[in-house]
Amino acid sequence: MKNEILRFDNVTLTYHTKRGETTAADDLTFSVREGEFVAIIGPSGCGKTTLLSLAAGLLVPSGGKVTRHGSCGYMLQKDELFPWRTIEKNIYLPLEIKRQNTAERRKQAQELAKKYGLADFLQSYPPQLSGGMRQRAALIRTLATEPDILLLDEPFSALDYQTRLNVCEDVSSIIRSEQKTALLITHDISEAVSLADRVIVLTKRPARVAFEHELDFGDETRPIKRREKPQFSTWFEILWKELNA
Amino acid sequence: MKHEFSREHRQYLAKKKRNLALVWALRLGILALFIGLWESITALGLVDPFLMSSPSRICKTIASLYRDGSLFYHIGVTLLETLIGFAIAVVLGCVIALALWWSETLKKVLEPYIVVLNALPKIALGPLIIIWFGTGSEAIVFMTVLVGIIVATLHMLSAFLATDNNKVLLLRSMGASKFQILFKLVIPSSLPSFISMLKVNVGMAWIGSIMGEYIVSRAGLGYLIVYGGQVFKLDLVMSATCILCILAAGMYFLVVLLEKLIVKDAKS
Repeated sequence: MKNEILRFDNVTLTYHTKRGETTAADDLTFSVREGEFVAIIGPSGCGKTTLLSLAAGLLVPSGGKVTRHGSCGYMLQKDELFPWRTIEKNIYLPLEIKRQNTAERRKQAQELAKKYGLADFLQSYPPQLSGGMRQRAALIRTLATEPDILLLDEPFSALDYQTRLNVCEDVSSIIRSEQKTALLITHDISEAVSLADRVIVLTKRPARVAFEHELDFGDETRPIKRREKPQFSTWFEILWKELNA
Repeated sequence: MKHEFSREHRQYLAKKKRNLALVWALRLGILALFIGLWESITALGLVDPFLMSSPSRICKTIASLYRDGSLFYHIGVTLLETLIGFAIAVVLGCVIALALWWSETLKKVLEPYIVVLNALPKIALGPLIIIWFGTGSEAIVFMTVLVGIIVATLHMLSAFLATDNNKVLLLRSMGASKFQILFKLVIPSSLPSFISMLKVNVGMAWIGSIMGEYIVSRAGLGYLIVYGGQVFKLDLVMSATCILCILAAGMYFLVVLLEKLIVKDAKS
């Protein structure tokens, strides 16, 4: 068994507003092991983003414990590239924030960008790039600091369907070939099935783990290929029923 | 690259160019028509040039001001007051806006005061300003700052507060401090708003300085206007007003130039 990178132990989170309090997560327990790609799906409004904020350490749980070994990189729905910076400067942003902005780290990040097809766009500004390219740049930015775990918050949901399949393919292959650990949160069942090694199904608010499945696609990690397999529709159906239970 | 354009594209460019030429021709045409009409109705005696002045009389007045050496003196006085007041209002406005952005509590505490100060007609403070600052340029600069500072503060605060929350979340996930969020995100993303605030404040600064000169002054364009009105020399009033128009437009274009220099990205 590989090392656990992220672990939630009986995590509870309560939001306080003037009107009252809302329990967003209740007794949530799960873990992500090194090298694993885990997808979490849940009905909309079950507090998925809250969960990633907890994992990133941006929120402190009201009860229970979140343990993370190593650093994390956060990828959001939209690319959130800064329009006044070139793609290259955008990719260096986390290095600047973490004060790792050395020539060596910049070179590494640049190599990564070139390896994944951004060589011609390094000096471009984000509005000059297509949505898919921008999301790819956002992923490279996330990888620039070499995080131990990637937290993906519905990173494809803002893209149109065609681009979405392509970017999904892209992101998957980059994450797999860089051997990164990833935690994806989505409401899209087919995305979860086509990307992940393991799928966790959450209940309605307050979020709790309802079901957990290891997917049996063997070595097939390419989302497009997975979509062609017979297991794909089986898993889709199972998860669909569980989500609507 | 040029020779590679298709026929259609060249036609499109030509059409654009013709449109621009038309716009400029009409702009200048309106000005020429206005001046021509003004000159002719006063020359023909349809209206009394003593009450309406006229373009030629304005030119003569400006020329005589130039000859006795007072033209650039008055322009200089007003321009200096306006620029100093403008600069102080902009800098202080940005600093206060930053403080209010930084501290939610401070913002809540000061909100009602800012709202009241914003609504208060600054001219009401005229007598106080004379007593506090005397009748020199200090009083006028103070009035200019007073008129501009609230606008600058509110404009910049709303720009700072409009910072994209998701981008803040992204930076926080990278472990950014509040200082880093400020310098990497909030300030650069507020740059376009800063420019639009400058444009608004150019107008505010002129309002402030001329208003100040109306209340107290011994020199400046506002002084010329008030003096001209009192002694019924409307040529002088009109001349000073024309010079004001030119100066205000010049200052505005300087801001536009600045905009082109610093807000260059994300356009193409």
